[in-house]
Amino acid sequence: MRCLLLAAWLAITSMATAAQQPLPKVPPTPRAAAPFDLTGHWVSVVTEDWRWRMVTPRKGDYSSVPLSAEGRRIADTWDPARSAEDGCKPYGAAAIMRVPGRLRITWDNDTTLRIDTDAGQQTRLLHFDKRQSPAGRTWQGYSAAEWDLVTARGGLGVSLATAPPRMGALRVITTNLRAGFLRKNGVPYSEEAVVTEYFDRLSAYGTDWLTVFTIVEDPRYLSQQFITSTHFKREPDAAKWMPTPCERGSVTDGAQ
Amino acid sequence: MRFRSASILLLIVGFVLTSATSARAQIDLAGEWAGTFHEDLPHRGGMRLADYTGLPFNEAGWRKGHSWDEAARSLPERQCIPHVATYALRGPATIRFQKVIDPVTGQLQAYSLHGSYGRPRTIWMDGRPHPSALAPHTWGGFSTGAWERNTLVVSTTHIKTGWLQRNGAPTSDLATMREHFTRYGDYLLVVTFINDPVFLAEPFIRTTNFVLSLSSNANAWGNCGPAQIVDELGGRPKHSVPHYLPDQTDHIREFLTYSGVPAEAARGGMDTTYPEFASRLQRGTLEFDPRNRAPRERIPIIESGVDADRNRPVDEIEVLPVQGNVYVLAGAGANIAVQIGEDGVLLVDSGSGMLNDKVIAAIRQLSDKPIRFILNTHAHADHMGGNEVLAKAGSTRGGGRPSDSPGPGALVLAHEAVLFAVGKPAGRQPAMPVGAWPTEGYPGESKEVFSNGEALQLIHPVSAAHTDGDSIVFFRRSDVVVTGDLFVTTSYPVFDVDKGGSLNGVIASLNRIIDITIPKDWQEGGTMVIPGHGRVADEADVVEYRDMVTILRDRIQYLIKKGMTLEQVKAARPTFEYDGRYGAATGPWTTDMFVEAAYKDLSRK
Repeated sequence: MRCLLLAAWLAITSMATAAQQPLPKVPPTPRAAAPFDLTGHWVSVVTEDWRWRMVTPRKGDYSSVPLSAEGRRIADTWDPARSAEDGCKPYGAAAIMRVPGRLRITWDNDTTLRIDTDAGQQTRLLHFDKRQSPAGRTWQGYSAAEWDLVTARGGLGVSLATAPPRMGALRVITTNLRAGFLRKNGVPYSEEAVVTEYFDRLSAYGTDWLTVFTIVEDPRYLSQQFITSTHFKREPDAAKWMPTPCERGSVTDGAQ
Repeated sequence: MRFRSASILLLIVGFVLTSATSARAQIDLAGEWAGTFHEDLPHRGGMRLADYTGLPFNEAGWRKGHSWDEAARSLPERQCIPHVATYALRGPATIRFQKVIDPVTGQLQAYSLHGSYGRPRTIWMDGRPHPSALAPHTWGGFSTGAWERNTLVVSTTHIKTGWLQRNGAPTSDLATMREHFTRYGDYLLVVTFINDPVFLAEPFIRTTNFVLSLSSNANAWGNCGPAQIVDELGGRPKHSVPHYLPDQTDHIREFLTYSGVPAEAARGGMDTTYPEFASRLQRGTLEFDPRNRAPRERIPIIESGVDADRNRPVDEIEVLPVQGNVYVLAGAGANIAVQIGEDGVLLVDSGSGMLNDKVIAAIRQLSDKPIRFILNTHAHADHMGGNEVLAKAGSTRGGGRPSDSPGPGALVLAHEAVLFAVGKPAGRQPAMPVGAWPTEGYPGESKEVFSNGEALQLIHPVSAAHTDGDSIVFFRRSDVVVTGDLFVTTSYPVFDVDKGGSLNGVIASLNRIIDITIPKDWQEGGTMVIPGHGRVADEADVVEYRDMVTILRDRIQYLIKKGMTLEQVKAARPTFEYDGRYGAATGPWTTDMFVEAAYKDLSRK
């Protein structure tokens, strides 16, 4: 009997403790809810794919990219002699994070995170407010953003989910793209491409880093998901910002 | 009965509810993860020699890679080496994360991470510290993990000399690694930082991507050990060390022709990884900052003191078990090996004598039996300076005495050349006080000793190496070799040509040690090696050191044959890429002294 009372007390206390945990306050804005700060100046450190990012690869060199037969056919039509006419094609949202350069990340407002690039002078707007709707196609397309929550699956239900879900990365899904290049040597992506990205932050050996995990899906030119991850090192200021337009006389066609 | 069942049920419910919080503290990484090869694919299969694009090498890193000959992988001593931790997640195969659950508490104790063609690496999650700087290094290193937000952060130390990629791009055994494992749904991102003060101008970062695989297994070969090793290089002499002399390789030109990459970029370098470099390429204004090319200043190693002799507190003796009945004491000027057992204590070397009391106290932590033997590896004061005091603290057992009664003091044994050396007059005095002299000197090439139920061999490998009286001590049952200063992990080999030393003798002795040692599978462990100075090692570490000494011998010999003077050889800096690991500008054995000794030795007719 004593054992039963002890067990009952333990169970009730546990449930009460779980029930008393305050519900997480819903932050008023995505900006206030940010689990980490992405704003600031960042520079890409090109320790991977150097031969395909820092220089324009040779025609037909689409190593590592899972192109479909149609994608390869298009890539093989690229003419290096006319690369000056490619303009902003290599600077679209499916590729811009891989272009060596610097990022300036700011909050445009409480629901929109803004990424400016010096390479190609592009602007990406990451919309947390889902009420906005995309308009036409642009190089940077329309990006819907949300903080990724890591929630418990299954188990005993509410009793295991009383603590707030853990904050994960920033997840961004970009659509409404103009067709562009995954690499400067004409490796293509089409208007049907959808780009999913996870932005995250970490520190190591005394330095802050931004990582972007990118998944490009393109039923027309890719045979499978094209997955890359790119890293940027924090810089103290904009002293090394080197804006370079991707098209002569045209800075950007603007992001939505 | 009903009450008891209900009680048990309620207790279980209560336990589940109270333990829910800790269970939620993790994001499950367990499973098989297939690599996606949409980055650097040519670098991850068979890759071209001389392609170091994107690596933040300093000049030492590039030079080490440049002299690397892929035939080295076919040496018997290297055939079974698995992918080292600094590369294992970059290889072509599926990896496996496996939970290691404490059977008593049911809590996560560790992860086992099986890399691509690597060996399973344990990531300890129970808060244990990293081992001593004196501890051996392994291909997987020693890893501990902790969760930060949505990421498992893993720190790894004690990694053997390895590589960043499979074309000779090196990492040193001073490298440490930090990995961030983050799961995004069914994707896994691994961000790896490798900090190597010897070969990198700044920590190297790379990101590797995986997808959860429900239909594949982590790849692994079967066992690879001494029995599986075959002769892959027929006709090559035993103990040969394939490498390229500085002007004997054309790999760079071949790679540049193939890739169209500028030569400056192929060499790697910190400056080549930033966007400014691409701009300079376009403008055709390539000028390199020489600061990126020099071995950088050592940076503090935070996770653990891997750099054995530099991080230990002064005047402290550290005790580390090695294998079987054998321990090592470090901090007494030189390493002292200790064998314990029913018979008493046997020492190999006695240190400098400056910390005798602390050495005796450390021995007493291991055994209260008397010191019976001191075996000296050679006639240097830092190895036999404690002979007199430590011997007096012990007693001889039996031996040639008429009774089995203890004699006064321990028996001190060394090669007979040691006796000649310590007895040589230095001015009016002998080179070493009489009390420190060995009591016995053995002639010839070997001597047998039996102590604590174990057979020991003292081997005098060659007549001229570190000195003219070197001994290697092999504990046959514990499977431990004590090398004296024929092998050290802290400096270039020390030898005095005028006093019987020889560089080729050192190399021959290192090869003798390699002949004695037998590794376990995957070229790791097995026979353990206690060097004269530095951390505990195994055959693979001796091979790495032997290769280094052989390469430097070949280079200096080559420069001598070209007619260079000593000053010209020194100006050519034949040791350049190893200086960050073994070199010194000051102290008892500088890089210059090593080159001068090698030049003098190799110039002899």
